[in-house]
Amino acid sequence: MTNITRRHFGIMAGASLSTLGLSMLSTPALAQGKPRVVIIGGGPGGATAARYIAKESNGTIDVTLIEPLKTFTTCFFSNLYVGGFRDYKSLTHNYDKVRKGGVKVVHALAASIDRDKKQVVLAGGGKVPYDRLLVAPGIDIKFDSVPGYSEQAAEVMPHAWKPGAQTQLLVKKLNALKDGDQIVMIAPPNPYRCPPGPYERVSMFAHVLKKKGFKKSRIVILDPKPAFSKQAVFSEGWEKYYPGMIEWQDPKIHGGIKGVDAKTGEVKTDFTNYKPGLVNVIPAQMAGKIARDAGLANQSGFCPIDAASMKSTVDPNIFVVGDASIAGEMPKSAFSANSQAKVAAMVIRAELTKSRAFPARYSNTCWSLIAPDVDVKVGASYEPVDGVIKAANSFVSQRNESADLRKQNYKESVDWYKGITADIFG
Amino acid sequence: MRRATPARISATLRLTLGCGMALSLLSPAAYGADIEYGRYLSSECTTCHGASQADSTIPNIHGLDQAHIAEVIKAYRTKALPNPVMQNVAGRLGDEEIAALAAYFATAKRPK
Repeated sequence: MTNITRRHFGIMAGASLSTLGLSMLSTPALAQGKPRVVIIGGGPGGATAARYIAKESNGTIDVTLIEPLKTFTTCFFSNLYVGGFRDYKSLTHNYDKVRKGGVKVVHALAASIDRDKKQVVLAGGGKVPYDRLLVAPGIDIKFDSVPGYSEQAAEVMPHAWKPGAQTQLLVKKLNALKDGDQIVMIAPPNPYRCPPGPYERVSMFAHVLKKKGFKKSRIVILDPKPAFSKQAVFSEGWEKYYPGMIEWQDPKIHGGIKGVDAKTGEVKTDFTNYKPGLVNVIPAQMAGKIARDAGLANQSGFCPIDAASMKSTVDPNIFVVGDASIAGEMPKSAFSANSQAKVAAMVIRAELTKSRAFPARYSNTCWSLIAPDVDVKVGASYEPVDGVIKAANSFVSQRNESADLRKQNYKESVDWYKGITADIFG
Repeated sequence: MRRATPARISATLRLTLGCGMALSLLSPAAYGADIEYGRYLSSECTTCHGASQADSTIPNIHGLDQAHIAEVIKAYRTKALPNPVMQNVAGRLGDEEIAALAAYFATAKRPK
C-alpha cells in the first residue's frame, strides 16, 4: 500500500482543489485577472477570513468585506463590562488595520445574496460580484421562542446577546437595582452563542450586587436545559463567592417557562410568578437573516457545512463560518469562528489560486470569570471525522483548583483577548 | 521531581546543541520540515500568541530558536509542561507537524 503522508495529502488535495476551483471560476473573473472573494460580516469569523485571505494570497485575490458598522464591539468579554472589569471602549475595534491589510471594507448592509448571479446585493441597491462568498452574519434572536417576548420587549427586558446598545441597557438596569431587587435570567436552549456565557453573566451580576453590599437581592436562572457548560465549577464558585444569592432552576424545578410580560415586568413559570427588578431574557437563536434568506440554513435555523472546509452544503461557491454554521461539536464562540475562518480561508485560496490545501484543524477555548481573579476554562481541538467536526481532545477546569491557577487563568484570558482581537482586526 | 519548564528545557537543549552532531540533526533539511505546512498550522497559534507583550502570560513565539520551539511543544505534548490549552494544542501534533511549526516560527516575524 502506498504510504500517503500528510504532506503528500496536502499537495494532492491542493492540486485537486485548485483544479476544481479553476473549473468553477467564471470566465469573466479569469478575464479580469483577480478572483474575487466577498465576505459578509465583520466579526470574528468574517474579519479573520478577510485578513487571512488577503495576507496569504499576497494581493492575488480581490477581498471585499461588507459590514454595516464602522466599529465592532465584541460580545466576548462583554460580561466583563457587565461586571465592571472592562470599559465599553476596550471592547470596541475599528477596521483600519483590516483595510491596511489589503481588504476593501464596504460599510453597507448586505441585503441579499443572488446565488445564481453570484453577487451580493447591498441595501442601497449596489451589487458586489463574487467568485467565492464567505457568510459570517452571526446569530439572530428568536424573539418568539419566549412567549410574550419581542424586539420591543427587549427594550425593557434586554437580551444583551448581541453586542452594542443591548449590553449597555443591561448594565444601566443592573446599576439601577436596589438591595432586595431580584434578577431573573431566562437562559437559552441549545444551540446558542457562547455556551458558558449566561452563567458567567450571572456571576458578574452577583459580583456587582455583592460589591454594592446588597444582602437581600437574589438571582434566579430559569433554564430550559437540564445541565450547562462548566456547571461543576460555576456551581462551586457560586457557593463559595455568592452563598445563597444564585438559584439555578432546571425544567424539573420551574416546571416550564410560561412567558414574560414587558408591560408588568413579570416572568411566569409553571409554579411561580416573578416580578424582578431586572429581567434578562436570552431566547433561542438562529443564523443571521441574510444566510437564512439565501437558503443556506436548514430547518434548525443554522447552516450546514462541509466539515473539512466550512463550505456550505447548499452552494459550492459559499462558505459559512462562525455562529451561523452547524459546526458539529464546536461551540458557537469567537474562538471557534476565528478558527473556522482560517480553514475556510485556506480552502478558498486553494480553490482560487494554486496554493496548497491542508487538512482542516479547528480549536476552541472559552474562559469564564466567576469572581475577581477566579477564572475557569474549557477547550478542545477538533477535526472532521466522517463528515462531522468532532473533538479530538478536550479539557475543562476542575473543582478545588488552586487560587493561583484560577488567577493565572484570568490573566491568560485577558492576554488571549489581546491576541484574538489582534488576529481578527489587525 | 523537577518540573520541566521552557527555561530548563532550553538550558538542556543548549547543552545538547554543544555537540555538532546534534546540531546537524536538528537542521531543517534533516527534519525535512515543511515550512509552508508550518505556516498554515501556525494560524492556530496566532489566535493567542499574535499580540504578546513582554509581561504576557502568553509568550511571543515568533523568531525563537527552532529546536527550542520543537522541544517546548513536545514537552507540552507529554504534559511535562503544565497548561491544558497548550497540552491540548500539542497533544494532536505529530513530529512532522511540530518540525513544520518550529521551522516556520524560527523564521517568522511577529504580526504587526
